[in-house]
Amino acid sequence: MTLRAAFQGRAGDFAYDIELEASEELLVLYGHSGAGKTITLRSIAGLARPEAGQIEIGGRTVFDSSSGVDEPPQRRRAGYVVQDVALFPHLNVERNVLIGIEESGDARARWSQLRDALHLDGLDGRRPHELSGGQQQRVALARALVRPTEVLLLDEPFSALDDALRADLRAELTRLQRDFGVPIVFVTHDLREAHLLADSVAVIDGGRILQLAPRDEVFRRPGTRRVAELTGVRNLFAATASGDRVEVDGLELRLPANGARGVIDLGIRSERCILRRFDPDEPPPENCFVGQLVEELAFGNTHTLRFEPDGVGPRIEVEVAARPYEVLGVAERDRWVIELPPEDLLVMPRK
Amino acid sequence: MPRRDQWWVVLPVLFGVFFLLPLIGLGWFAITDGDVASELGSSTTWDALRLSVLTATLTLVLAIVLGTPLAYLLASSEAGWARLTATLLDLPLVLPPVVSGIALLTVFGRRGYLGDPLSEAGITLSFTTAAVVLAQLFVAAPYYVRAAYAGFTAMDPRFEGVAYTLGLSRWRTFRSVTLPLVWPALAGGAVLCWARALGELGATLLFAGSLPGRTQTMPLAILSAFESSAGLAGAVSIAVILVAFALLLLVLLHRLSTPSGAYR
Repeated sequence: MTLRAAFQGRAGDFAYDIELEASEELLVLYGHSGAGKTITLRSIAGLARPEAGQIEIGGRTVFDSSSGVDEPPQRRRAGYVVQDVALFPHLNVERNVLIGIEESGDARARWSQLRDALHLDGLDGRRPHELSGGQQQRVALARALVRPTEVLLLDEPFSALDDALRADLRAELTRLQRDFGVPIVFVTHDLREAHLLADSVAVIDGGRILQLAPRDEVFRRPGTRRVAELTGVRNLFAATASGDRVEVDGLELRLPANGARGVIDLGIRSERCILRRFDPDEPPPENCFVGQLVEELAFGNTHTLRFEPDGVGPRIEVEVAARPYEVLGVAERDRWVIELPPEDLLVMPRK
Repeated sequence: MPRRDQWWVVLPVLFGVFFLLPLIGLGWFAITDGDVASELGSSTTWDALRLSVLTATLTLVLAIVLGTPLAYLLASSEAGWARLTATLLDLPLVLPPVVSGIALLTVFGRRGYLGDPLSEAGITLSFTTAAVVLAQLFVAAPYYVRAAYAGFTAMDPRFEGVAYTLGLSRWRTFRSVTLPLVWPALAGGAVLCWARALGELGATLLFAGSLPGRTQTMPLAILSAFESSAGLAGAVSIAVILVAFALLLLVLLHRLSTPSGAYR
């Protein structure tokens, strides 16, 4: 089963142009609020109508502007959990889940299946307002899966929950994914959640998908400066490349084998930078420069350090775990050597 | 002892007294000077009461059947005409009922714009029971439509969206999801509409007249008693009957519109 979508349209002043593809995997649609995540899900579910394009769910074309196909949401086989879940407040749990198949014969059997799969035992007769946040989420998932479903669309389903509950539900989601074997499109604006859940990540911004790739590729090889920014790369510089060399603010760095030439965007994650003790008698080795510590933020398990260059090199942010921070004695010294390892440098073409 | 900072409670109490006193006055006047017993035995009073209940109920049914789809349509559309129409709905609420009566006469009256075509078709509206219902509908239906419109607008549209993705048709979604969710708003509007129709006087008087048994509803019967030799005493006697009856029905309707098992 797969999901394929390429469509354009507008919602008020907001224009979107989306291209997505997901197989039997968990695709995280990651972006800030207002990036176009919800309109994307609504278009796939058939609740919003793009102006042009095609949408294919499980091999069936459900929308095609050129041939006039526009299946109603009732026939798209898309399970949709909206943000804040929207359980029907006037119906109990069982009726919430079964409302779409009440008139078919196997409603009872389906209910006992889903009740077991999502641990809803004992909740049958409860009203939504009598459930905890985690229980509401599970009921909403059961409701979205009650009919034959070929894609599961989840709009920030865990945003209202605390961390412990999120972790439980994530495990459940991974299991559901395995059992039901459908593509899951999971919308979030939480970077950590995206990293934890995703098989693939689609980075969305300003109504466009900037990059869609397996998770590690998006995080290790962001396609553009904007993707790097959105995925939490704190150090981004304009640089000039030639062969395996690149120059940033007067500092020459070695790159891994790369054909980049001319002006590029260069980045490095703050946790990938290495701190070394400064020794005035020793010139800094390759890919290193001297920096002055100007600002420090302590987060408990990590420390974020900001450096101004002492001579050549860029301003840089370095993240150090609590233990190396203490072992190195960062608190006692201002001047440090910062190493930017070649294999951790992100090279992005400039448009 | 009331606490010092609760002096403001005097205000609602004063307001309550202001509303209660005239009602008590009405009852007391009926007991001392009126003749409620003979009015209860009069067929004119009973005819008026029957007509009032019949027409107000018919008005409510028409308001629900025609007004619910209108309110839903207006609430789900974002177009300019929808907002304009929603505003226009308030117009009958601010018009003096007499003006509404005149407006109805200019169109449906015997010499109104539709008078000739209607009479050629064998239909005379003015000064018939149908005219009473039309007058009440014009004046009272906006109360229902407004309340329904507010209810539909306040509902989170995502409930309907989710229902569609679950395979529910539009009609089933309306029945099993939308309607239960806006039920309190609709019921509140229905009570208002019915009550307003029951009290309708001005528009009815102008458009339908005051013919006992055909167009003379309770308010018209009270007015006509007031203008007759019976005077204030006669009017008050019928008025208390109307008040007692309206009170009874309002309590009943209130019970019906908030059943104990309803969603809250």
